[in-house]
Amino acid sequence: MKRFFRRLGKNIVDLWTNFINFFKVANLNVKASMCLMGAGQFMYRQIGRGILYLGIEILGILFFSIYGFQWLVGLITLGTVEADPWTGLEGDNSVIFMLLGLMSLVLLILFIALYILNVRDVYNTSKLVLRGEKPKTFKQDLKDLLDKKFYKTVLFLPILGTIIFSLLPIVFMILIAFTNYGEPYIPPVLVDWIGLENFIKVFSIGDIGPTFFKILGWNILWAIATTLLNYVLGLLLAILLNKKIVKGKFFWRLFPILAYAIPGFITLTAFKFMFSQGGPINFYIEQAGGSALPFLTKDGTWWARLIGLLINAWLTVPSVMLLATGILSNINNDLYEAAKIDGAGAFRQFKDITLPFVVFATTPTLITSFIGNFNNFGVFYFLRSDVTSNGYFVSNDTDLLINWLYRLSIDNKYYSIGAAISLIIFIITSAISLIIYIKSPAYKKEDTFR
Amino acid sequence: MKNIKFLSLLLGSVTLLTLAGCDPNITTSNHNTSSNGQTTIVDPSEDDPVFAKFTGQLEEGVTVKVVENDTAIKMGYLDELIAAFNEEYKEYGITAVDANQGEFADLPNTGPYGYGPDVVYQANDVLMGWVDDKHITPIPTHLIEAYQSEVIPDTAHDAYKSVVNNVNYTFGVPVNIQSPLLYYRKDLLPSDWQETWDDNNNDIPDMVENIVDLYEFSKQYHAKDDTKYGFEFSLNDFYFTSGYLFSYGGYLFGNNNRDDTDIGLHKGNAKYGVQILRQFAAEMSAACRDDSAKLAISGAMASGKYFASVTTPDVRSVIVDALVDTYKSEQGLSQDEAITKAEENVVGVPFPDLPSNGDLINPSDDYIECKQMGGINGYAMSSYTKCPNASLAFINFATSYKMVKLREQIIQIAPCRSDVAEESTQLSQQLFERTTNGSIVLMPSIKAINQVWTPAGSFMADVAADPSRGGNAKYDTLDKIQAALEQLSNDIYDAIHLLN
Repeated sequence: MKRFFRRLGKNIVDLWTNFINFFKVANLNVKASMCLMGAGQFMYRQIGRGILYLGIEILGILFFSIYGFQWLVGLITLGTVEADPWTGLEGDNSVIFMLLGLMSLVLLILFIALYILNVRDVYNTSKLVLRGEKPKTFKQDLKDLLDKKFYKTVLFLPILGTIIFSLLPIVFMILIAFTNYGEPYIPPVLVDWIGLENFIKVFSIGDIGPTFFKILGWNILWAIATTLLNYVLGLLLAILLNKKIVKGKFFWRLFPILAYAIPGFITLTAFKFMFSQGGPINFYIEQAGGSALPFLTKDGTWWARLIGLLINAWLTVPSVMLLATGILSNINNDLYEAAKIDGAGAFRQFKDITLPFVVFATTPTLITSFIGNFNNFGVFYFLRSDVTSNGYFVSNDTDLLINWLYRLSIDNKYYSIGAAISLIIFIITSAISLIIYIKSPAYKKEDTFR
Repeated sequence: MKNIKFLSLLLGSVTLLTLAGCDPNITTSNHNTSSNGQTTIVDPSEDDPVFAKFTGQLEEGVTVKVVENDTAIKMGYLDELIAAFNEEYKEYGITAVDANQGEFADLPNTGPYGYGPDVVYQANDVLMGWVDDKHITPIPTHLIEAYQSEVIPDTAHDAYKSVVNNVNYTFGVPVNIQSPLLYYRKDLLPSDWQETWDDNNNDIPDMVENIVDLYEFSKQYHAKDDTKYGFEFSLNDFYFTSGYLFSYGGYLFGNNNRDDTDIGLHKGNAKYGVQILRQFAAEMSAACRDDSAKLAISGAMASGKYFASVTTPDVRSVIVDALVDTYKSEQGLSQDEAITKAEENVVGVPFPDLPSNGDLINPSDDYIECKQMGGINGYAMSSYTKCPNASLAFINFATSYKMVKLREQIIQIAPCRSDVAEESTQLSQQLFERTTNGSIVLMPSIKAINQVWTPAGSFMADVAADPSRGGNAKYDTLDKIQAALEQLSNDIYDAIHLLN
């Protein structure tokens, strides 16, 4: 920690020194642009650029003086006047304040970035002039955007979209984790910043902490088991249906694809009915003289976990099979011929040719599959959302973190606790994915199969 | 912000203390704090600021968006109501329309953003769950005919009352009573039931009057054909089973279901109610342990697999329809004959009485009335409506004698107005009486009720499965049941309070 702050301090000092040095060497035009966006460009007779930068500054100042500053203050206070719908008093909506404040913050960062860009731009022009070249005209700039800098033109919209639709919601969720947003603090009641309180609650209060760790343990076991099971079964099925001796491959491949094509929630509802206490499976067990088994009830912890694993395999194996079928068709048959000549048996061929090739090609898919399974909401939501277990806070012993998160944030409106758990899930899944990826052959031996 | 709140509180307290010091008789501005510092709760005055929007001037040319329940829409009642209201108010250009937002309108997520309904019809627990966040607005009872005519029983009115800032506001107008009932097949009674199953000679079969006889009858019914069960229902539905706990002194929340810090499912002898359900579960099939019995009810009752079951009145028509099909296919009756016979043979009654010692195997001679959970459905007004006066006019119209009567006739649901109930069916009258005398325990009108259903349902499912555990039973003694009920109350308390 000490080292981190020492490095941070050094970086700030370096930045300041660099700025002073830069200011010393910068000419008048660059200094003009530092004071007023576009001024340097105007001085170099780059009228188009000048107008653009000046326009940005005017718009920025107007925006921040009318809305932006107010929105930033709102982000800090989260509102001061509580609304009263009964009397029609329109107070502050903390959540809207947070959203607007966040937007304002993003625009402020963008504005600062454009300001720096404006200075860099005029500085680059000054270097051109020093070399005896002419400053670029606006027409040339536009031409560049369609030629040398075409990547910027193409990437502009996707980057903007990513910021608005991906980055902002994630940052918004992260911010919520540090507030008390949720029962009973839901607008019109004002929401407040509470620091790390939600994280402390998750790890320490009453049954919440133990519940978190119990669910996390099961969640990791589930994610590993179901990912491996689906992968192995899908691969085996693909290899089996790829064998020349299998007749009517299209026909046999159709069955898993049908299972895959039926919407997951319909399959899950059907399985829930089949394994219910009065369902057909228990009916036949009773007909055979046995007693109904507690498949999905409070007692049925491991039954339910096993059923969940198998149902998830039913839903997922077809997609793995299709993927593996495609990959298998890409393996060069000469490798197998050569292996045969060298005396390698079927298992050896599978171990040394098929498996490395498929694993190499599917490692990124395996990671996404792992994350998908780690956050697999549907299976246990449909099978067992009506069950609670002793010693589990608002959850049961088959719930995954995502199911618990849903129960807390949607069923019980503890949004901020939900956001804190989301953040923890995000950190865990990112760390695991990163480690697996870095350790995987797909990363280590990138050029092996090229 | 916390500092500002604290300062405001401090300043407010100082001001109050100073004022109180000046004149010992002085009260706070809303006249609800007495001189000795004790808070008194008062009814709102007609000039309360929250009623300022009810000027009496109808907003002309507006559209009142109404959320109704699916049964009312399906059976054509909403169309009748809207047509009658629009005719009545056409001179003002006021039009009521179906809000088309589903019966469980998401007012908290639509209202604040301007696209929610103006008037919502729902059960009291749902509507009153929106009070804390002010999504529904207090109703000026002095402007509501049903309240002014004093035809709404106090218990129903209380279900729509909530204290805010020490003022006891009313947030809805009751329309009808909903409660689960025991439904049985009259034609499956033994042919000699009047001699063998009517000890008190009151022309009502004993097995639907008291649970001990129902238990005995169930055993006999099952013994005759082991694929059939006398009495079966989904014990995991706490709406159906909670009454057994309430009958012996258990309760959901203290202070008339207002105090969510007092969870009372383990109080009194609530364990007796659990014991009765556990004992009966031994005579039911595995379907009683989850929703299977509930989902199978129409087919099972039509086929005679169940002699009796528990469900809500709106499901009766589904049972009748299934029975009509059975009569047609098995007895060759015509459609009309089958309908008449099915209507006659599917009978709904309040829950049978319970032995006071809570034991079906060695029952006491004296019985207590079995309580049942119920609700009061009614109309409430969105706080976000742009036409409060027109919306109030709609509520007044929809809760009038004429419309409540029409609703009862079309939907066959127990009315909440005493003047309509007096002219209603015997069952409706029974339900009305049971509501007024407290035998129907109304669903709590506080948000915390949402934390009850899943854990309590899960517990009851576990109790239902207990007889099948043999030597590993978890609830085979009253002490074990008591401990489990205490744990359940604690879990519910934690779910409500741990994160607040």
